Amino acid sequence: MHALKLTLAVAVSLALAPLAVAQETVRIGVVQPTTGPVAYDGNIYVNTVKMLVDDMNAKGGVLGKKIELVVEDGACNPAQSVNAAEKLVVRDKVVALLGAFCSTSTAAVMEVAKKHKVPLITGISTAAQLTEQGNPYFFRAVATTPMLGNAFGPVLPKAVKAKRFAFLTLNDDWGRSMQASYPKAIESGGGQIVANEFFQQSDLQFLSQITKVKAANPDAIVLAANTQQAVALSKQIRELGVTVPLIGEGSWTSDSYIKLAGPAAEGVYGLVEYVYTIKSPINEAFVKEFQAKLKENPSKFAGAAHNAIHIMVDAIGRAGAADPEKIRTALEQTDYNGLVGNIKFDAKHQAYGQTVYLAHVKSGIPEVVETATIAKP
Amino acid sequence: MSAAITILGQHLLNGVLIGCAYALIAMGLTMIFGVMNIANFAHGEFYMLGGFLAFYLVSLMGLNYFAALPVAVVLVVALAVILQHAIFRRLRDAPMMTTTLVTIGLSIFLEHVALLLWGPQPQSIPTPFPTKPLSFFGVYTTPLYLFCMAVTAALILVGHLLIRRTRMGKAMRATFQNKEASALVGIRIDRIYMYAFAFGAALAAAAGAVLGGFIPVEPTTGGIITLKAFVVVILGGMGSFVGAIVGGLLLGLAEALGAGYMPTGWKDAIGFFAVILVLLFRPEGLFKRV
Amino acid sequence: MSDTGRQRLATAAVCVALFAVPLVVHDEYYLHLFIVSGVFVVAVLGLDLIVGYVGQLSLAHAAFFAIGAYTSALLFVRLQWTMWLGLPSAALFTGLVALALGSVILRTRGHRFIIITVVFAELMRLVATNWVDVTRGFMGLPGLQVPKLYLPGLGAINIASKERFYYVVLVAAVLAYFACRAIVRSSIGRKFVLIRENEPLAESLGISAFRYSMIAFVAGAALAGAAGSLYAHYVGFVSPDLFNFSYVTIMLIMVILGGKGTLLGPALGAVLFTFLPELLREASHWRMIIFATILIVATLFMPRGIIFPLVEHLVPRRWRVRNAGAA
Repeated sequence: MHALKLTLAVAVSLALAPLAVAQETVRIGVVQPTTGPVAYDGNIYVNTVKMLVDDMNAKGGVLGKKIELVVEDGACNPAQSVNAAEKLVVRDKVVALLGAFCSTSTAAVMEVAKKHKVPLITGISTAAQLTEQGNPYFFRAVATTPMLGNAFGPVLPKAVKAKRFAFLTLNDDWGRSMQASYPKAIESGGGQIVANEFFQQSDLQFLSQITKVKAANPDAIVLAANTQQAVALSKQIRELGVTVPLIGEGSWTSDSYIKLAGPAAEGVYGLVEYVYTIKSPINEAFVKEFQAKLKENPSKFAGAAHNAIHIMVDAIGRAGAADPEKIRTALEQTDYNGLVGNIKFDAKHQAYGQTVYLAHVKSGIPEVVETATIAKP
Repeated sequence: MSAAITILGQHLLNGVLIGCAYALIAMGLTMIFGVMNIANFAHGEFYMLGGFLAFYLVSLMGLNYFAALPVAVVLVVALAVILQHAIFRRLRDAPMMTTTLVTIGLSIFLEHVALLLWGPQPQSIPTPFPTKPLSFFGVYTTPLYLFCMAVTAALILVGHLLIRRTRMGKAMRATFQNKEASALVGIRIDRIYMYAFAFGAALAAAAGAVLGGFIPVEPTTGGIITLKAFVVVILGGMGSFVGAIVGGLLLGLAEALGAGYMPTGWKDAIGFFAVILVLLFRPEGLFKRV
Repeated sequence: MSDTGRQRLATAAVCVALFAVPLVVHDEYYLHLFIVSGVFVVAVLGLDLIVGYVGQLSLAHAAFFAIGAYTSALLFVRLQWTMWLGLPSAALFTGLVALALGSVILRTRGHRFIIITVVFAELMRLVATNWVDVTRGFMGLPGLQVPKLYLPGLGAINIASKERFYYVVLVAAVLAYFACRAIVRSSIGRKFVLIRENEPLAESLGISAFRYSMIAFVAGAALAGAAGSLYAHYVGFVSPDLFNFSYVTIMLIMVILGGKGTLLGPALGAVLFTFLPELLREASHWRMIIFATILIVATLFMPRGIIFPLVEHLVPRRWRVRNAGAA
């Protein structure tokens, strides 16, 4: 009888233990592609967030409690991202969400956030319509492609000494948005658009498109692509005898791109929200820690992760409680100074005020040659 | 005017480069289909493995590029022989649905094993060729592209001669036409199957190893490659080697020219539309069976 | 109690269990999985008609599912048609697409047929991705909603909650099951099987393989389209990802491992292979490797599938209805 009571007591406390633990930490959910075509960058994001949260917890966490991260794989697949988000919100009872990397997945996760009333920040998804849907639980901590275009477009003709600009981008919302918004800004700086070409996400060779672009005789080519395609593009562009400067949105300044593209990366310009060569005390400390713990230089996805987690934790601190509604209100009042300058959110929860960078790859190092500030949209 | 001709020339050259690759891969698929009557949905995975193994041999084990290519192919052939012995041997007289499901399962299996072992990062094989482009009358190419074309063309020729001139080739064609009769005259069907499967896999792997120098390989590449190979085989006529070769070149050229003079988004659809047209008007394909 | 009595009791017990799910299961996550399973039950029942009963391996089914989803989504976004109109429209349109496709390809046999279905699916994916004006390409169509249910006297009932939407899906799955069962038990169903087992004999008896395959193909596609519509409104979002080959794979696994040609097998397969991947979330690549291995092994050694034979084994011999469909 005694043994039975003991067993019962142990069983009951084991069953209740998770509940007990839940009250002692602040749970933040992360939906990122840890598998799939962009898994490399997704894992960088996740590892960065983990590293920074460990730092925060070493300093006492937030609201006197430790931060607990729960990471789920969205694989940049909308259905899977939705499942991941549902699990995080319903089963793990997270009070805030970060994710989901690809704009289509973020769009799907946004609905989950709205349904369950949990705030969501993305530091990476740039599809313009995400902030146009009036979802009060969604916040975007990164400049969209049109905003980047408006900031740098007028500067580009002088910065790269070019007049005739050709576009060669991914055929998705990102690439199309670039080709819709950049031309006006470039023209206002004295440039001229001579070609508009697209490629598919599954394309492995771009010879036809490059040939068409070449036929238009550009002085510079503006591209939107992520690492795998950026590498193939750079190489094939050079192999087809095109020597003009390349200007890219995407991962054109990351370690992985520079290493894989080899000599083709030399002289490439990157339009980035973050690059590891930024000269500021916060960044230099971040880069040093990143190199020590993760053994490479932080890419723009690491920078995005830094922003997202810091802004979220900052808001949780100001909210005074691990309550999703209060966190959401606190997010709206964000006035955060961090890795890339000052960030505030406008009425549509779009971030503005941060610095963006034009980096030039020289001898394998992306040096910052121009900066601009994102204007309030 | 001459600029337009140069551009056309460039598109044509691009088309031939890609077309040779398509032809080589499709030949391998036709070999397997023709002799064993199996639609090999895992064919693209042989291409992918050829590419990845070549990459690892060159970059991680420091093997000479020109040695790594055949070694990668041999490794894939070894895998093919094992698969034939373990699985396909049992499927000699199996219904089509069974064999197709098995190759689909195999395709998923190989893709995810590759993802597990090597991660999703695409890799291009470091080659010893200088990267500076060569130009002939304004049309650009690189030593690597020329190498790719030369090797794929050579392998196509070798394959063709093998089928047409050697005893093995004759035995394969006999099996293809009439399995029972071939067995009766003493042709060892199991052996023939093994050679067919191995050779088919070898061609795909060779394509992957050679092209991996300028088209990055990733574990998920297999799917698209298989699809393109099937498109070529249907266009050319299932079971015709000449059809696979001509079909491959035609598809490469059609895609390059189509993309060159039409909105590039629909480039891949060219092959698919062609397949539908062929189905409507000439279902056996452009060429009859060998 | 008599045999029939016991059988009736067992069936009643199963029905009660199915209806009681939302009352017993309160975990939203599991309810979500039940709902998705139900959607796939509708889809794979349709696939079983063509793969299991007629015996043609169609890899276009997932494309029909996606076409149904897109149709319903577009009708909602552009014309504000609710799911009550969208679902039957999606089923109808998908059926028509299948009719058109079938008229071109159902005369081919063998490998060519299988490959054409793959090519078709890929072509549909390209259309969804590139016809940006209509489908918004990669951006997809967000903001889809579950409509309200209007009953006379009770007004508008909100059925968007998981507990309530479960019943919608349950009704759909049950209707789909009985519809398919009616087809396969009828003379049409017997003709399907005859065509599968001995096509030349069927032709010689005047049974047109082309016509009957078409019936299965179109009916199956319509079911897939209906399932797609349910899925779209439930998830709230469609994108070209729905055309990924992974949907083909999972539906095939559900049908083949469930037991093709048995209806019940694939239905159980749908449930099992919706829950299993989610429960094995952590082991992403291993999960697919294991599924692929099971698929190969089962195809080689267990042609009747795994689930159905297992279930049948548990049912007393006297109760086993002679299942004309099982291969």
